[in-house]
Amino acid sequence: MNQPEHELAKKIVQHLDYGVDQLEPGTRERLAAARRVALSRYREAPQAVLGLAWAGQAVEWVTERHLHSARMMAAAAALMIAMAGVVYWQSINPVNELADIDTGLLTDELPLNAFLDKGFDSWLKRSSR
Amino acid sequence: MRCVTQPSAQPKATPLATQKELSDFFAEVERRAYKQALFAVRDDHQALDIVQDAMLKLTEKYSARPPAELPPLFQRILQNTVRDHFRRQKVRSLWTTPLSGLFGGDPDNEADPLETLEVADDSQFSEPPAQQVERSQVLAFIEKAIESLPARQRQAFLLRYWEELDVTATAKIMGCSEGSVKTHCSRATHALGVILRKQGITL
Repeated sequence: MNQPEHELAKKIVQHLDYGVDQLEPGTRERLAAARRVALSRYREAPQAVLGLAWAGQAVEWVTERHLHSARMMAAAAALMIAMAGVVYWQSINPVNELADIDTGLLTDELPLNAFLDKGFDSWLKRSSR
Repeated sequence: MRCVTQPSAQPKATPLATQKELSDFFAEVERRAYKQALFAVRDDHQALDIVQDAMLKLTEKYSARPPAELPPLFQRILQNTVRDHFRRQKVRSLWTTPLSGLFGGDPDNEADPLETLEVADDSQFSEPPAQQVERSQVLAFIEKAIESLPARQRQAFLLRYWEELDVTATAKIMGCSEGSVKTHCSRATHALGVILRKQGITL
């Protein structure tokens, strides 16, 4: 039963070849159509693959029939906007102010405003109880 | 049989591939390429798209190569296209699945591997029906077994034995060492042997 790997592989491949011959006519037809489309782009002298070839590719990638990537980019843009929003919100958030007050409390360097705040007064009374 | 031959047989100043040669090459390789893509993505539409993309890329960018260089080049493009497909699918499902309700896109439904099994065409009368059925059943098992292999093993096996590329070319296409190509191939063949034996199939 220990036939050499090569032989087994060969036999498997023979079956695969058989499978290829059995492909449905519809699939064959579509493959042939795909081939024709590809060959229609054939040029005797293909464009020089030099210099800014990548730029061309990038532009092509962005513009040409990449509908789903447009959708992806919309999603990415939405994400960026959301992230910018979060950063902005965090920067104006009163959390920083609160942190300052806490630090002041802990280091006994409270700003004057804190003593003018009635809420602070009542909180002190409540918490000292 | 196949035109996958030794590049050394080609003289140095070879003429570049003509449109006819390219066409012949595609006609010869396209069905196997389709099957390869199908084993990987398990969806016939996507497999067709991948083959078409690979053909387009080869024609647009690399037709200025001698015909002997086409097979390994095409295989590399094909494998890259399959990989890109998976990468894109991953990114897409990451971002658009939660949004698909909003955009109305249909979520990629998992393809049932049974649906992609090729069943023999009834119109073949060249051999007796019983034999035909048996053969197509064996084929179905083999194709399923190949689908179930780890991607790298399947890739190595198909490139080496089906596309008849040598170890060096396969290693280059897969971007790994020749040693690991051999390991992948041997593991793949071994695994296939075990699977087939379990099904009681002797080839």
